[in-house]
Amino acid sequence: MSAVPAATLEFGPILRAMKRNKVRFGLIVFEVALTLAIVANCVTMVLDARRDMARRSGFDDPNLVSVRSTPFDPAFKEDGYLDNGVREDLRALRSMPGVRAATNTGFLPWQGGGSSTELRAAGSRGEMLRTQIYAVDEGTLDTLGVPIVEGRGFTPDDVVQGTEQLRALRRGPRARDAEGKPAQKITQDVVISSAYGRLAFGGNGPFVGKMLEDSDGDFYRVIGTIDAFYNPYGWPIHEYVVFYTNLGRSYEGGAPYLVRTEPGQAAAVVKQVEQKMVAVNGGRNLRVRTIEEIKGQFFAGKQLMATMMSGLVVLLVLVTSLGIVGLTSFSVTERTRQIGTRRALGARRADILRHFLLENWLLSSLGLGVGVLLAYALNFGLANAVAAAKLGWPLVAGGVLLLWTAGLLAALVPAMRAARVSPAIATRNV
Amino acid sequence: MVLYNLRIALLSLRRNIVLSAVIVGGIALGIAVATLFSTMRHVLARDPIPDKSGRLFYVRLDTWDPLKPYPGDDPTRPPTQITYRDMVELMKSDIPVRQSGMFKANLYVFPDPKVGRPSKQVTRLCFSDFFAMFDVPFKYGGAWDRKADQGPEPVVVLNDELNGTLFGGADSVGRTVRIESRDFKVVGVLDRWRPAVKFYDVTQFAMQAPEAVYMPFNFLQPMRIQSVGNRDGWKSAPAPGLEGLLQSETCWIQMWVELPARDKVEAYKAFVDAYVVEQKKTGRFPRPLNNRVTPLMGWLREQKVVPNELNALMAVSLLFLGVCSLNLMGLLLAKFLARGPEIGVRRALGARRLDVFVQHVIECEVVAAIGGSLGILASLAGLAWMNTWMKALVAREEFFRLDLPMTGFAVLLSLVAGLLAGLYPAWRVCRIPPAVHLKLQ
Repeated sequence: MSAVPAATLEFGPILRAMKRNKVRFGLIVFEVALTLAIVANCVTMVLDARRDMARRSGFDDPNLVSVRSTPFDPAFKEDGYLDNGVREDLRALRSMPGVRAATNTGFLPWQGGGSSTELRAAGSRGEMLRTQIYAVDEGTLDTLGVPIVEGRGFTPDDVVQGTEQLRALRRGPRARDAEGKPAQKITQDVVISSAYGRLAFGGNGPFVGKMLEDSDGDFYRVIGTIDAFYNPYGWPIHEYVVFYTNLGRSYEGGAPYLVRTEPGQAAAVVKQVEQKMVAVNGGRNLRVRTIEEIKGQFFAGKQLMATMMSGLVVLLVLVTSLGIVGLTSFSVTERTRQIGTRRALGARRADILRHFLLENWLLSSLGLGVGVLLAYALNFGLANAVAAAKLGWPLVAGGVLLLWTAGLLAALVPAMRAARVSPAIATRNV
Repeated sequence: MVLYNLRIALLSLRRNIVLSAVIVGGIALGIAVATLFSTMRHVLARDPIPDKSGRLFYVRLDTWDPLKPYPGDDPTRPPTQITYRDMVELMKSDIPVRQSGMFKANLYVFPDPKVGRPSKQVTRLCFSDFFAMFDVPFKYGGAWDRKADQGPEPVVVLNDELNGTLFGGADSVGRTVRIESRDFKVVGVLDRWRPAVKFYDVTQFAMQAPEAVYMPFNFLQPMRIQSVGNRDGWKSAPAPGLEGLLQSETCWIQMWVELPARDKVEAYKAFVDAYVVEQKKTGRFPRPLNNRVTPLMGWLREQKVVPNELNALMAVSLLFLGVCSLNLMGLLLAKFLARGPEIGVRRALGARRLDVFVQHVIECEVVAAIGGSLGILASLAGLAWMNTWMKALVAREEFFRLDLPMTGFAVLLSLVAGLLAGLYPAWRVCRIPPAVHLKLQ
């Protein structure tokens, strides 16, 4: 019972002391406010970056390895020579210990781009809709670790037919009608992501058997769909994909491969691939990277910012806490005689401790109140200037709790020193 | 008098080492962080070619789809690159003093078998004006002449690093290099040239190092060279392969012009617009007229060469310095006021208010100077750490460096922080009346 009125009584002297030292106490208030504003915004940006980095591709990323062969032997310019080479390479890759699957595809997850085109539901006359598009073989989906959710994946026959059809087109210009469109249309079998299916056809499927068309009027028949696909792109088409079959030649005239290893074997496989492939055919160089490495490069900027901002938050709380220690220490030193007098008049150590903690708590709370407003103002500025994420109230609340605790802990050290002041001080001069 | 004040300031710092360490350490931390991130941003944001940037312009034409704008943040922007056929036509203008269309490729360079295996080298296909336009420094020889552009003659410029690998760094002008299936004569070797931002091509990753090999653009067709830059298209090509690409609406070439004066800029813009209006008659350029002749710095800003993350870090680091300054202000206030009795004695013995004020401002500046110096040293360590990171990421050495202007900025920042933090405490302390504390004594 007695604690409550005692505590309320103490507000009077504290508030009067604050009035007399407006600037000094104002400094703590403003410092705490600014600290809260910065901490809340930094943590928001860090969490936003982490959310991006935690985004799942839907593939078996930790066990994927990219192998790109770039030949300097002119023999590779022949399609037949390259095809044979691709078959030999795949055999060699699949026979390596620790390798679970290997595929010939130009698709490379997490490189921050790729290839794209525009399609729409056949005969719809609607808007053309941009999607990522990649050439694959019969083993690509299995290598990525992506399950077919509807319809089927590609067979080796699909790959042979798809490749033949596209190569026939490349042999010469196509006959075109008056509008400049090819007179004879072709149809390719494709596997699409269900996100693109929903975009192109509306509804949730089934999409198997439906047709897409491109600006030339060529057709794409959906034979299967996958759910899991996320590959960040320069344009907002991260979840849209169309896979078609073609024995892949990379833009550098070589062949690109993806390898899926047994869990945890990626690093070991990376070490052996180059030697193995050069043994198959020495007329080329190889570039071997894990997908985790490529992903790391893609997120390097975000990762750096997250690390730096986390560091800044820790330093900032530290600096502010030290500032509170310093100013409270000064308060204690300045008021040593008053403390002695109060002790001599019967105040207990706990009363003195409470006085300083309460004083500090009031200052912190005032600062945190101002800080909440400041945090939202800063967030508004950052959102406009650098497209920062929006500040959520749970985060602000968390920041308030953190700084309340830090403030109390910081004040505790000098407050305890104050509590140890001997009543005898009061009788001494100076 | 100043020396005397300096001595007092140092004595005062030595009196309470722990407190002084906190005071100096706080401001050092603020300066370190602010200098680190400001420098990183400065390295990317500064003008890469200050003598000429106002005269260099990046050219874009809106050849895109009639049904929808070029995708991206801003629908009013034309595609970031132009088509081959438009480049050929634009290059016929005699308004620019220099001009070059260009793209990037990866080509095999075959060294003497005794020296090493063939290796892919990043190559820029460009016209002879490229080198003078961008002030590219030569160690040996120089650019090929404009006549070599037309042939094209098999001439090539190598950078210092590749010249080191192929020829041990010797003057290789006149010697032969095999690139893909042809022999090229070396006409020039670049001096070390590593601008932080690859300002002449920011369509991909802007922090790449410049290319190792430079060859005449017109080898594109005879050698059937594939670009490894971005290719944006909306309409299928009229024919397969390279021939189709060259006739297509695919945008894949960067185009720069050097225009020495205001009236030339206007004249060139008029030329570009007239060209597009003419082309519209053939059914091309279905979109409204939207051509851009953008100055270099404007183009770099539009392409966001400075990542948002870095802008955010710099903003936060300056606020952090603000907190450190507030902190310094509080601690100095406490420290100075604790000295009340001493000041009272000095005032009673005849020190003027101004003397006391100046003495304390100097003490603040001493704190700021020591803290600032430590902070700048710490920021150097931070930059060194960032450089190891950049080396692992993009294989660039010594990417971030604290240059003279940024050192000056850091020093100024320290002194301003010290002054802002110190003015009020010094003013408070100089208003202590002489008598009060004497009575207490």
